[in-house]
Amino acid sequence: MAYFGNNQQRGELQELYADLNDLNFEKKKEAVKKVIAYMTVGKDVSQLFQSVIKCLEFQDIEMKKLIYLYIVNYSRQKPDDAIMVIQNFRKDVRKSENPLVRALAIRTFGCLRVPKLNEYLIEPLKDCISDDDPYVRKTAVLCVPKVFEVSPELCPPVLDQLQKLLEKESNALVLANLIQSMREIEVVNGKQLILMNPKIIQKLLLAVDECMEWGQIFILDYLATYDPADSKQAEIIIERTLPRLSHINPTVTFCAVKLILKYLDYLDNGDLVKNLCKKISPSLISLLSWNQSEIQYTILRNISLILQKFPILFENEVKVFFCSFNEPYYIKYEKLDIMVRICDSKNFTQVLNELMIYINEADPHFVRKTIKSIGKIGMMYDKALNEAVSILVEFAKNVQQATEPVQELFIQMQILYRKNRNLYKTNDSLKILFNILEYANEAEAKSACAWIVGEFAEFIPKSVEKMKEYIDNFLIEDRLVQLQLLTSGVKLYIKYPSLCSALIQQLINSAKDSFNPDVRDRTYIYWRLLSTDPEVVKNLVCSAPIGSSQFQKDVRLWETKDLIIALENMGSISNLFHKLPNQLYKNIKVRNNHQQEAKIYKADEKQEAPQKDQEIKKNDQNQQQPQQQQQQQQQQQQQQKQDFDLLNFDEPVSNNNNNTNNKMDVYDLI
Amino acid sequence: MISSLSFINQKGEILIYRVYKDDISRSEITQFCAKMIATKENKESPIINIDQTSFIHISIKDIIILATTKTDVNVAMVLEFLYQLSKICKSYFQGILDENCIKKNFVLIYEILDEVLDYGIPQIADPNILQKFIQEGGIQQETSMNIERLRQLTVTITGAVSWRPTGLHYEKNELYLDIIESVNLLISAKDTVLRAEVVGSIELKSKLTGMPECQIGMNDKLLMGKQARTTKQNGGIAIDDMKFHPCVGLPKFEKDRTITFIPPDGHFQLMSYRISENINIPFKVNVIYSDISENKLEIRLKIKSIYDKNVYGTNIAVKVPVPKNTVNVISATALGKAKHEIEEQSVIWRIKKLQGDVETSLRCDISLGATNKEQTWSKPPLKMEFQIPMFTSSGLRVRFLKVMEKGAYKTNKWIRYLTRGGEYLHRL
Repeated sequence: MAYFGNNQQRGELQELYADLNDLNFEKKKEAVKKVIAYMTVGKDVSQLFQSVIKCLEFQDIEMKKLIYLYIVNYSRQKPDDAIMVIQNFRKDVRKSENPLVRALAIRTFGCLRVPKLNEYLIEPLKDCISDDDPYVRKTAVLCVPKVFEVSPELCPPVLDQLQKLLEKESNALVLANLIQSMREIEVVNGKQLILMNPKIIQKLLLAVDECMEWGQIFILDYLATYDPADSKQAEIIIERTLPRLSHINPTVTFCAVKLILKYLDYLDNGDLVKNLCKKISPSLISLLSWNQSEIQYTILRNISLILQKFPILFENEVKVFFCSFNEPYYIKYEKLDIMVRICDSKNFTQVLNELMIYINEADPHFVRKTIKSIGKIGMMYDKALNEAVSILVEFAKNVQQATEPVQELFIQMQILYRKNRNLYKTNDSLKILFNILEYANEAEAKSACAWIVGEFAEFIPKSVEKMKEYIDNFLIEDRLVQLQLLTSGVKLYIKYPSLCSALIQQLINSAKDSFNPDVRDRTYIYWRLLSTDPEVVKNLVCSAPIGSSQFQKDVRLWETKDLIIALENMGSISNLFHKLPNQLYKNIKVRNNHQQEAKIYKADEKQEAPQKDQEIKKNDQNQQQPQQQQQQQQQQQQQQKQDFDLLNFDEPVSNNNNNTNNKMDVYDLI
Repeated sequence: MISSLSFINQKGEILIYRVYKDDISRSEITQFCAKMIATKENKESPIINIDQTSFIHISIKDIIILATTKTDVNVAMVLEFLYQLSKICKSYFQGILDENCIKKNFVLIYEILDEVLDYGIPQIADPNILQKFIQEGGIQQETSMNIERLRQLTVTITGAVSWRPTGLHYEKNELYLDIIESVNLLISAKDTVLRAEVVGSIELKSKLTGMPECQIGMNDKLLMGKQARTTKQNGGIAIDDMKFHPCVGLPKFEKDRTITFIPPDGHFQLMSYRISENINIPFKVNVIYSDISENKLEIRLKIKSIYDKNVYGTNIAVKVPVPKNTVNVISATALGKAKHEIEEQSVIWRIKKLQGDVETSLRCDISLGATNKEQTWSKPPLKMEFQIPMFTSSGLRVRFLKVMEKGAYKTNKWIRYLTRGGEYLHRL
């Protein structure tokens, strides 16, 4: 049988037409197969619709399936012809004794998606929902959302039937499909459809033990969105879910983890919470080293969420996130991110030692990310600063060309110098960096170099010559570099007034002609200031840096208030992209969060309220003000500000613009 | 849920295309294909989101299986489903899934796709069950006409023990048990163990009559702690985590840690486990790189097998990385053969068989060509592959395997152990 026909003549369709109408059954069947093959490669065979559906008169199941496939594909193009099939479907549903045929018919019927055909469907559908055979029932319940999508007005009686079935159905598989089906309708409808009661929950929990793996996922996934009435109920559901942690299907395990994590908030018993955490942790770690890297990746993407709410789960487990040499890079990137998040004042040496190894890897992106991570760790922990810098300096010694990692090196070194200006005293970093300044070619890296030259002019040999080099090319530089050059040029002038008078003249001359209004504005400001009182400029530009206190550890990825909703949706696509469902999908509404605050689970204490502890900066004025509302508002604002912090991790795409703007502001700080 | 499924070949052509929901167009898939072919690299994540459409794919050799969706589905579930789908296809096509057999069997694949997903929601994805009612050339006429049989079939499919058909009969009841362990090891350049972990699986081949219930017991520390007679034996080993085939009664395991199951027919993976404590590292490796001169490098490598004397390691391969500009390698060893493989950028030392508690060594003199850059060579880790029959790195042992069925029921049982190298790496 030919799959891709070689003879692409016009006569092909006619030939098929003839074969389909042939009296010989085998010939017809071959022709139907050919039609499907054409359909697969994207050829339009809709003209054969009538001839194909005529073949339905045979009771051959294989052929029937193929024809149904064809009909589903073209029913929307040929709604009038599709009507002719209705009788066949109804006959199959009502008369056939073969449950497979009944199920096949109702399944296909639902896929026609032609509004005017659906009214013929409702009655047979009702019959199938109350069919004796569980296979037919499980198929019929899934047919409802198909119809609902196209003709919601026809559905109310069927929906009632579903709710009734929910209460009386005993087959686990049907029950699981039923839950999933009703949830699909809820998404389309935007209204709650499933009415829960303790009896149904009991049934669902029973069904989890009995139905196939996918059904278990549907039920666990659904229960994760349910808010248990009290601690007792939460405990019961958790207890019944625990065995799922040992299921071979990673998604079943993951859904069970999700459900348990969510329900932890409802438990009164602190010891129980601790015990549960101990049980969940090894299960999660197995998933993290899952041998299918795609699945491993999705789990890794969700870890940041778990880490934020349940730091306790990965206590002392940083080794789990060490990269293997042969892993795909998308896994390595994630692990690197997580290692920085998980890094704390106790294990930073371990993490830095590991990162040091990655610097030697071949992939420039990965090395760049590694350098960035080292910089971040140096920023976060005062104690780690020296170690981080010495790793970077060691790397700088071996630099021989303008690679991507080198760009990041300049950027990170600049940030670290800003954190602690005295760094230049402790090692040869300045000298080594100065030797490789020529390798900076990205705007951000160049601007970092310009800053270094200006800031440490006294300690760098030939700093004035270097600056002259930069200024000669001023106009072709990026805005970011131009702004930094201006500031650095002025710094040099303040430090060496006589040596740099020509230089500053040249700088101002070029800068006032810049295409960029910001650059021009700043040029004029400096110009005026310099011509009125250089002493003021000195205080402004060369004052001591604000110091390390302005940089704080903030590895939160999610807003604290979003944590619970995010947790309920753990494992979903939106979560994978570190967003809430309504941020990724316009049509989805997130249900209201009844809980005010998400609890954070740390290793030392049992639980704590997050807001107050996590707030790093506390405004004195705030504390004096009595109105709580205002305080909260300000705190929220602060939180937002922090989210644009320099230290923050990869922002969601939508935030990118804000983020870069903000970054520039930080660099422009004088 | 899932809007469409496609099988795509290396050239980016769609081989199979099945739509489950109406919200996706073929052109979106072709765009994705073009993109896939253009990048090809392994860096892209397996999930791409373009304008609210998510493309989730896995690669099985040259075939890409792609699912698309416009809703906020559970990604891990879709991925796991795609993997199971590939397994189903392989079970139908004698373990092969390539372009040829897809083209040859497209009718059958469409039939399978019709059954495994409904409205994009995963349904029956167990190859054993599917084989019962989807077969090449349709199911046997006899079955399809016999309504009673069909009823039985649908009850089995939707029932609680869906993985095992009723009425199986064998002349001899046989049960084959394989315990296979992969050792993942990471040792730093300073010779400290950064990570040692065993990922193991227990695989069964069952040829049993009727509906027997089986119970398996291992030297699991927690289980043996529960049973009183542990005093004589050593305390057993700590298993971090276990994952079971659906046939294992999980509530019972959760309650008293006994593993009971009604096995599927034929070959299946009963469980997988992970152990990170007290791993017996099978080899001690000692390697020294010394630069003799600008274009000469010497590598001395020593390996000691640290398993029992009457155990033999087989098919051992040590991949010793060498610089890119290696021109010639002269190697000397008492055991096995060492060869410079340019594509791997390493000298691969292969030893067919190595007894326990034996030390052997390799010496390589390497001549280097001239390089234009004076960049220091950063050595990738040294990798080892091996298989050691009748040895488990974790020390796991099966203590008993009971088969319980009414009447005089006799079962012949065989058991094998194997440890092999997983990610077995020494940093240099």
